[in-house]
Formats: sequence, structure tokens, C-alpha cells
Amino acid sequence: MAYSKPAATKDWNQPPVAGPHLAPTDVNLLLYSVARSSGPQPKPANSFLRNIGPTQGKQQPLAVMSQSLRPYLQCVRSSLTAALTLSNFASQTTERHNVPEIEAQTSPEVVLTPLVIARNENERVLIEPSINSVRISIKIKQADEIESILVHKFARFLTQRAEAFFILRRKPIPGYDISFLITNFHTEEMLKHKLVDFIIEFQEEVDKEISEMKLFLNARARFVAESFLTPFD
Amino acid sequence: MSIIQQHTAASLTDAWRTVNIDILTEDSSVNFDTSTLHPPQPEVSEADVRTLSTQVRQLLRGGDAEGALRGCLETPVYNGTDGAKEAHLQTIIEVLQSIKASDMTPLLKGIYAAPGGSELLDVLMKYIYKGMASGAPAAAGLKSPAKMTPQSTGFTQIGSRPGASNEPASAAMSVLLSWHEKLVEVAGLGCIGRTMTDWRRV
Repeated sequence: MAYSKPAATKDWNQPPVAGPHLAPTDVNLLLYSVARSSGPQPKPANSFLRNIGPTQGKQQPLAVMSQSLRPYLQCVRSSLTAALTLSNFASQTTERHNVPEIEAQTSPEVVLTPLVIARNENERVLIEPSINSVRISIKIKQADEIESILVHKFARFLTQRAEAFFILRRKPIPGYDISFLITNFHTEEMLKHKLVDFIIEFQEEVDKEISEMKLFLNARARFVAESFLTPFD
Repeated sequence: MSIIQQHTAASLTDAWRTVNIDILTEDSSVNFDTSTLHPPQPEVSEADVRTLSTQVRQLLRGGDAEGALRGCLETPVYNGTDGAKEAHLQTIIEVLQSIKASDMTPLLKGIYAAPGGSELLDVLMKYIYKGMASGAPAAAGLKSPAKMTPQSTGFTQIGSRPGASNEPASAAMSVLLSWHEKLVEVAGLGCIGRTMTDWRRV
């Protein structure tokens, strides 16, 4: 298995930025925001569509929700920090190979107990640690069918560009929407706390993104329906 | 007998390519016996768990929350039937839910300071993760038929919201999450590390 190593930039060696909200200096975060800005669902530049219908003020619950989100993300953060203690480990079955043990599953003694962190039955994170790799799978909140479609499209969009994200797994684990695979080579190249921050920030952003897209979709559907039905008025 | 005659339908297909030959090799790392990684554990029967559960409930009713928590953490079910393990998990979750949020940290500090307290908190961490894991798949099974309802198109925002119907489940999760947070504050990240590396699984 070949690992695409990121080009060495001086960003990785910079001291950590204080505070929970880090500037998106990570290559990962930058790419993530680039990916979002050119996402499959076009966003209105001047969002006149958003002014239609009762969608205004719907952003309010997000701020309230983030309060109940905090212990969940804190739990993910501490579990990930504990799980990301990786070391180099050569394959025991194939000589001169070095594969992520969590994917290969060829040495049961180096695959550790998987941990599940759940906020409710629709939102959970699975952390599968092993000696040289950690697999993190996220189930994104999906309250209804529209959200499941949006999540599916969004996850698909990201996984198609997986090589740009370094740690993104091309295929999610069954039952989850998106998976990451962090190996010891990643933790050697990148700062551990930045990797943890990236996962946490991804979780925060993806929820916001999905609900934003859903609001926009509803607004657009309403607008289309209105303009379609105007001649019959 | 010529070698060509040994070809059969099975050898002409490529199904044999998918056979994992490592499993057939006796001294391959795939066949590592993981039971050698932990000492043998005494088997706990479901009846033992039930007796303990009633004792713990009595302690809870008497107001001795710390004693109740200690009581169930001292006898983790490492070796037992699924029923026994599940019953013990339910007992622990019940104890955790009955303790007030403000009492969590002093109680955990009290257990941690006592001799052998660190091991008890490791057991608690294992059960917290197990509790979160057990809630997820059961509900996922429930959800899939419900999602097939034709009338909920997702355009109505008031409509079917599965999160609202399962309030007790998510309340249990938030209790576990706040216990997890307090536990990491008291016992540190090593507690999670030991949960992952310990082969005595609850």
C-alpha cells in the first residue's frame, strides 16, 4: 500500500495556536474549505433565495445545539488523543511490507478494542485503534431522507478526492458515512493535536454544512414551486 | 496419468485465489491465540449478576451512591454469557444515571484516591464505552424500516424526526458522555488507553 506523503511545509513545525478555534493553516483544512467552496451544491453568491419563505432565523438552533454537542466532541477528542499513539510496525505475514494493521487484520494481537462514542443513535463515532493505524468512522446526523441524500452526496464528493486529504479513507465502514485512516506515517509527518483538531472541526463543520444545504434546498424548492405556479394563479 | 487430467472445474475457476492461505498456516500471525494475552477470568453467571444488582439497588435506595458504584465496578463480567454482561451493564448505567451531575467529580476523586481505585475507574471507562456502543446498533436496526415511510419527503421540517421519538436513548448517552468527561478529568487519558489495550473486555 502506497502512502502519499504530503509535501513538507513549514506549517507542521509551527507552534500550536492557542484556543479551540484554530486558523485553518492545515493543508487539510485548507483543502477542505476549498472542496466546500466548489461543492456539488451551488451556493448563491448573493443569496436572494434565502430571503424567501420562513427559512430566516433557522440558524438560531445551531448555537444552542453546539452546547449539547460539546461533551460529545470532547469525548471524541480525548478518545482520539489516547488512540493516536502509533508506532512503526512491519507486517508479520509478508516480508518487507508495512501495512495498516487495522485494515489488514492479519495480527489479532495488535488490533485493540474498538471504541464507540455515541451522542444518540443517529450520531456516533467508531474509533478502531491498532499498533500502527487508527480508523475513525463518523456517522453524520441524518434526521430525514433529504439529509441522508445530502450526507451521501457530500461524503461521496469528499471521498472521490481522498488523495488530497491524506487521511481520508476511500470507502466508509458499513453503517457509517465517512471514514478516516491515520497511520504512523501520518502522525510522523503531521502534528498529532492538529490531526485531532481536524477531525473535530470536520464534525462541527459537516453538521453545519448539511443543515445549511438543507435550508437552501428547501428555499430553492419553494422558490421554484412559486415561480412555476405563478402562471396558474 | 497426465497432468492435464487433474484439472477440474474447481481448479479452472479463480475462486482459489481468494482463499486466505495464512489461516491455513498454523504458525501464521493470523492464528495468534489472543486468549494468552490475559489471565483466565472466573466465569460470572447471570444469577450472580442479578443478586449483585439487587444489592446495588438497595445501596442506592439507602443513599450510598459511592458504595453502589464501587460494588458493581469491583465485579466486572469479563467472562460470562451475553445476558450476564448486558445485565451488569444495565446495573451500572442505572447507578450512573441516579447520581447527580454535581456529585460526579467528588465521587470519582474519592474512588480514585482509595487503594485500587484506578483499576475501578478503568472498569468504569470500559462500561461507559460499552454503554455507548450498545445503544447504537439496536437503534439502527429499528430505524431502517421507519425510514421507508413514503409520506415523509424531508421537505416538511416538522415531520418525522427520529431523534425526537428516542428521547430516553439520547438522554442515556448524554449521561454517559458527561461521566466520560468527568472521568477523563480525574483519571486522565491513560484510562482510555488501558480500555483500548486491555484484553479483558466487558
